[in-house]
Amino acid sequence: MNEATSVLSVMGYATELPWLWAGLTAYVLATLIAVMGMMRIRIGATTVGTMTQASPRAHEKFVLLMVVLGVALLTVAIAERWMRLGHGPFVNLFELLMSQLWSLGLVFAVVYWRVPLLRPSAVVALPMMWVLGGWVLALQPVDTALPPTYHNDWLWAHVGLGKFFLAFCLVGTGLAGVILLRNTQRFAAWFRHVPADAVLDALAWRFMLLAFIFHSLMLTAGAVWAQDAWGRYWAWDALETSSFLNWLMLGASIHARLTYRIPIRVGAIAIIGVFVFAFITYFGTPFYSTAAHKGVI
Amino acid sequence: MIRALGSIRLALVGMLLLAIGAALSYDNPVDTPVWVLVAPLAFLAVNLLAAIATNPRINRRGGLLVFHLGLLAIIVLAGIGRLTHLDAQLEITEGTAFSPSDLTHMAKGPWHSGALEQLAFVQGSFTVDYSPGMVRGLTHSTVLLPDDRQGWQTKVVGDDRPLILEGYRFYTTFNKGFAPVLTWTPDGGGEALSGTIHMPSYPLFEYKQDSSWTPPNEKGGGKEIKFWLRLKTGLREDAAWVLDGKTATGVLVVNVDDRRVELEPGQSVHVPGGVLRYERLTTWMGYKVFYDPTLHWLFGAAIMAVLGLGTHFWRKSGASLQIAPARVKDAPEVPRASSPDTAAGRSV
Ligand code: HEM
Repeated sequence: MNEATSVLSVMGYATELPWLWAGLTAYVLATLIAVMGMMRIRIGATTVGTMTQASPRAHEKFVLLMVVLGVALLTVAIAERWMRLGHGPFVNLFELLMSQLWSLGLVFAVVYWRVPLLRPSAVVALPMMWVLGGWVLALQPVDTALPPTYHNDWLWAHVGLGKFFLAFCLVGTGLAGVILLRNTQRFAAWFRHVPADAVLDALAWRFMLLAFIFHSLMLTAGAVWAQDAWGRYWAWDALETSSFLNWLMLGASIHARLTYRIPIRVGAIAIIGVFVFAFITYFGTPFYSTAAHKGVI
Repeated sequence: MIRALGSIRLALVGMLLLAIGAALSYDNPVDTPVWVLVAPLAFLAVNLLAAIATNPRINRRGGLLVFHLGLLAIIVLAGIGRLTHLDAQLEITEGTAFSPSDLTHMAKGPWHSGALEQLAFVQGSFTVDYSPGMVRGLTHSTVLLPDDRQGWQTKVVGDDRPLILEGYRFYTTFNKGFAPVLTWTPDGGGEALSGTIHMPSYPLFEYKQDSSWTPPNEKGGGKEIKFWLRLKTGLREDAAWVLDGKTATGVLVVNVDDRRVELEPGQSVHVPGGVLRYERLTTWMGYKVFYDPTLHWLFGAAIMAVLGLGTHFWRKSGASLQIAPARVKDAPEVPRASSPDTAAGRSV
């Protein structure tokens, strides 16, 4: 079988793909609506009077609707694949990206709905989905088999807690992005209606503390699973080392912020740094490690 | 003095040193000393203890106190764990009893004092499921354990379900294979010897099922015998199959000098120095053995720590994440759009 036919046979099987595309489209629309909403505010801020017609937040419910629609479509995509393969999206990078797109969207939607203060940060947070979305589309949706050590309930705890960690990190990053963007000339007007930097800063770090709690739980659940799966709870493999460093980095940032009067913008950069590190841990580590953490052998 | 020892600045230094130690420990390079981790952890433990004792920002806030105590407990327990642990590997032949002398690659802490000698089990047969493409699935390894009535009870273990005896955990590994049972009767009526030869791990070394053995010779200089096992196990690369020692068969190819003889189970061959009989084919299972009495305590300390931090977070934030800007100290005034809908009071 040459490469073209093998790809075709893969695509023929992968009934989840149309749903995945549809879900990503909804995310793209959500981003565009969010950006257009902010641009309207900017125009409103410069041309007095335009704002009186519609609330500057009128677009927010459409953003939420699109994210929720995206999550619903991705749910179908994941369910399709799950039913075909008989196991959840836990094994290869295609599955990991797809499930992260789902969980990041889900948590972000809930937070967006419950915490109106951070809604403007959607213009920073949602484009992150594009990165994951573009990446997942570039991968082959090849079938996977569940490794023997994945038949373990701790998998659910470990993966689920990790999803919350990354999602709260994303929320913090969105707010940090707003803090940095609004202090540039180009974007200052977009965020005129957003409360002071100090408010965003406090909120962002609150989410980072929440992220830290979930990271700690993820490490604990991962250690229990590793003990079951590989007969040791800790062994400094690529993912363990990377995620421990990520945890320390967040812990140290939290302490540094409490100890020194760190400027808000530097704090925002630290939050983004933690998120980037987490991103590399989650999606980059499988590239430079062929070692244990897949448990496939 | 103690106050200074418990400063957060020192904690930051400790965290940085720990990060460096963790990075150096990546993949456990043989030339990285354990001190790169032990030293920063000990430093952090002292720092943490001093902070807990003197800093009201920790010890007056219940949740935060529990969290930092939990961290301290984890450091101490992990240290005790390393001092008392045992790690080893075991290859055990089907039908034989466990003996501590069979453990290989053993590493243990200086305070290890477990009851290794009291462990008793007999290895039974095993099966391993494979999915198409030779992807390994579940292992079902049967072991026999002495029961209260001088009999035996069977138990099936495998993968993430270890055999746990007196705190020692036996985990099956991908390392398992076949073992021809041989009897050696020396010429001239010496005592016959019986034993097994563990062939390399199967199916990983499917094409390399060979080994060698040199029979004992009173005069010294026995002739090395080379073995090669030709197996029929039903192995399929393109379909699901089950590796099962009970249904597998194997022809033993024996090479001595330039002679090559194929033996079916039950057949013998006369080679220089004696008669070699291939009795039957059996299997061996490879286990990873792990002992650490702190495991459950570590888990408890971690959960306690997170619960403490969760309480601290809850108290600090209230049940929701809505915060009023008025409560945020030092919030600088920034111009806001005048629409009432966008006023900060409304949006928080
Ligand atoms: C790697 C180990 C450590 C981690 C992960 C950690 C984590 C944390 C976290 C998450 C908080 C809560 C921050 C907040 O309320 O926003 C905190 C607070 C605090 N930690 Fe640690 N900690 C560690 C080690 C230490 C050490 C060694 C000290 C001792 C000097 C220390 C002293 C403090 C203090 C004084 C606070 C309270 C600060 C305040 O709210 O005013 N921590 N720590």
